Amino acid sequence: MSDFKKSVRDPLEHVRIIPDETPHIFIKDDKICITQCENKPCTYYCPSRVYYWEKDSIKVLYDRCIECGACPYGCPYQNIAWQFPGGGYGVVY
Amino acid sequence: MMGNDRYNAVVVGAGPAGSTAALMMAKNNLSVALLERGRYPGSKNMTGGTVASMPFRDILPEYWKMEGIPLERRIVSDELWLLDGDSAVRMGFTGRRFGKAPFNKHTILRYKFDGWYANQAVKAGAELICNCLAVDLVYHKTGLMSKKVDGVVLEGGDVIHADVVILAEGAQGSLVQKAGLRKRLKPNEMTLYVKEVLELPAEKIEDRFNLEREEGASIGMVGYPTSPAIGKGGIWTNRDSLSIIVGGYLNQIVGKGLSPLQLLDRYKEHPLVKRLIEGAKPVKYMAHIIPKGGFKKIPTLVDDGIIVAGDAAEMISGSRGMDLAMITGKFAAEAAAQACALDRYGRDVLASYEARIKGSFFYRNMKGHKNAEAYFNRYQDSDFLITKATNDLAYKFFEQNLESDKNNMIKMAEELINMQPLGKTTKDILFGLQNWGVL
Repeated sequence: MSDFKKSVRDPLEHVRIIPDETPHIFIKDDKICITQCENKPCTYYCPSRVYYWEKDSIKVLYDRCIECGACPYGCPYQNIAWQFPGGGYGVVY
Repeated sequence: MMGNDRYNAVVVGAGPAGSTAALMMAKNNLSVALLERGRYPGSKNMTGGTVASMPFRDILPEYWKMEGIPLERRIVSDELWLLDGDSAVRMGFTGRRFGKAPFNKHTILRYKFDGWYANQAVKAGAELICNCLAVDLVYHKTGLMSKKVDGVVLEGGDVIHADVVILAEGAQGSLVQKAGLRKRLKPNEMTLYVKEVLELPAEKIEDRFNLEREEGASIGMVGYPTSPAIGKGGIWTNRDSLSIIVGGYLNQIVGKGLSPLQLLDRYKEHPLVKRLIEGAKPVKYMAHIIPKGGFKKIPTLVDDGIIVAGDAAEMISGSRGMDLAMITGKFAAEAAAQACALDRYGRDVLASYEARIKGSFFYRNMKGHKNAEAYFNRYQDSDFLITKATNDLAYKFFEQNLESDKNNMIKMAEELINMQPLGKTTKDILFGLQNWGVL
């Protein structure tokens, strides 16, 4: 199940998100993504594709986040710091 | 922003647990602040799913008659499908009695339901504060070495003081962790689900699912929807939409390179699923984790001045969660009311909450199922094997062939035994039934 970016529709077509002014997701240590993480699983297990790999680092599109809560637990190196966006911001179902 | 400086209780999270707690406390004349980080209650929440009638009417008798209640359909038909590539072994039950009051369960959509429910707490006197994110707890010294939780800190630094804090903040449980009451979950201790709401006219839903007006159906499916991981797919009928979900254990999704969104798209294309959702228009997409740490990971439920309820307390048993949230919210409210009556808020008083949970049916269920997570971690192929085997057998059983009945039985038995030892198959089925929410 690789390369879904090219083949699959954008899941956020029917989602309303009001992005906070500042990010609520951080990569703790970029080096770990390069030197230790082979598969970059955040790029596929995240249901709304917040994460993608470009050049030498993971890019985080926090304004795509629908707050499912999986990313800090799914990262094999616990390298994702995730917190709630500010009150009233983020996804609005 | 706040009407009071100090409340009897502050509840973090206006979901089923938090709103129940706020409603019951307000009915007991406690002053209550109900905090919701979203723009409105339900704006960040997801269920399959259904709300069970029995625990709900324990809180609001004859709730189905209440004004404006956003119930979708009354479930009369429940099915479990073992879904393979082009076939399904189906088990199910339809009971028309469940279509009449007091009902068995109703489908709901959280973005409609939670707001209505929180409003019942408001009508009872609770103060609902939306757009309000609690980021920490405040403590009050009660002795040289002791302290109690005495309120919450909001982003920006404002403080709301309360004699009792009820954490009903949902699966993430960030304040529960901050309070040191809960350990970090591992990825094999949670499931991740994605969901779509698909609009479809009511008459079409009733035709396709063999229902009368107001009646609803739910179908749980295992095997194909999440293969090769252990998980579940499901379809629920709403008034004029369908809810479709798929998901499974997070460690297996990560380890097997699965994209939940792609699982959903693949599931929707399955020939037996496609005909149910044909022509339905996607209007919502959502995702959420479910804490599945089970019995061994239940957090510390009370401490001085604080109670944990609902998903934040990992109160999940099989496929049940929202009703357990309501029940634990009610227990929490009663413990808080008792504490206020005594004007003592220590662990010793609030322990009545813990005792009631330990005496509950769902606590016993969780205890009974405590080895399931370990089993599914070890035998990640069990759902797949059962689904495959039962569908192969069913093809043989229903096929009109040219063999004697006796020969057919022998062949089927051989097939079953060749797959894996019979004892393992039995175990797979037993653990499967627990996990699928059937037992």
